[in-house]
Amino acid sequence: MATATYPPPPPFYKLYKDYLQDPKSAPEPPPPIEGTYMCFGSNYTTDDVLPSLEEQGVRQLYPRGPNVDYKKELRSLNRELQLHILELADILVERPSQYARRVEEISLIFKNLHHLLNSLRPHQARATLIHILELQIERRRQAVEDIKRRREEAQRLLMESLETLDGH
Amino acid sequence: MDIISQLQEQVNTIAALAFNTFGTLQRDAPPVRLSPNYPEPPSQEPTEDSATIAEQPKLMSAALVKAAKQFDALVAALPLSDGGEEEQLKRIAELQAENDVVGQELQKQLQAAEQELVQVQELFSQVADNCLNLKKAD
Repeated sequence: MATATYPPPPPFYKLYKDYLQDPKSAPEPPPPIEGTYMCFGSNYTTDDVLPSLEEQGVRQLYPRGPNVDYKKELRSLNRELQLHILELADILVERPSQYARRVEEISLIFKNLHHLLNSLRPHQARATLIHILELQIERRRQAVEDIKRRREEAQRLLMESLETLDGH
Repeated sequence: MDIISQLQEQVNTIAALAFNTFGTLQRDAPPVRLSPNYPEPPSQEPTEDSATIAEQPKLMSAALVKAAKQFDALVAALPLSDGGEEEQLKRIAELQAENDVVGQELQKQLQAAEQELVQVQELFSQVADNCLNLKKAD
């Protein structure tokens, strides 16, 4: 791949010389990319989804299913973690050469914990969306109220001035 | 910071405390007698106070347990109403419909207000013209 310290801008700008006069003489913007694309030498996919643990070759400790009780699983994983840390301390005292298995199990628990937390993110995104929509509805209602009030005020002023002029 | 990021930070903190605990204890442990055949290990002058060496495990394990309790507290604070994905999507659809209705109402009011503004401006310019003409006639 050719690289330069200060590369010049891409030469496409020359195609847009007459854009103001004739918007159709210049090429359309490229369509959105689908599938995988290459960026700075590495592959990216447009399908942004959290890969499941099996795809990463990690054993899943909490029961999978449509609805996982996140709080319960997080708490039980926490307890498991504490127990394993205690086990590691014990093993280091009694049979120090067998630490590897325990360390592996502890790292497995950590991976599960992080995966659980990451799978909460879509839920958080939807909750944020709901919150934003509620705020927007509230703001719009407020604006409608304000406009109504101002219009009534303006009507009232006009009526008053009409009376003042008529009485003149 | 949002609750999930706090939970993630807490998990990393627990991990750091765990490996720091084991690392420190292993590094600072005095040598131990392996078997009755071999003589006692030469007792060197301890570089650290034996009191500190004795209470380090207590302090560090207390910190570990405290971090774990904090994690539990954060988990309890999760606003997870067990909505489930379908419930959330349903609520989003409802809110969108309501938003559209309120938006149209707003649009209507806005148009009416703009019309009235145009009328008032028209009236005002007529009034101003009349005033000018009256003044000129004086």
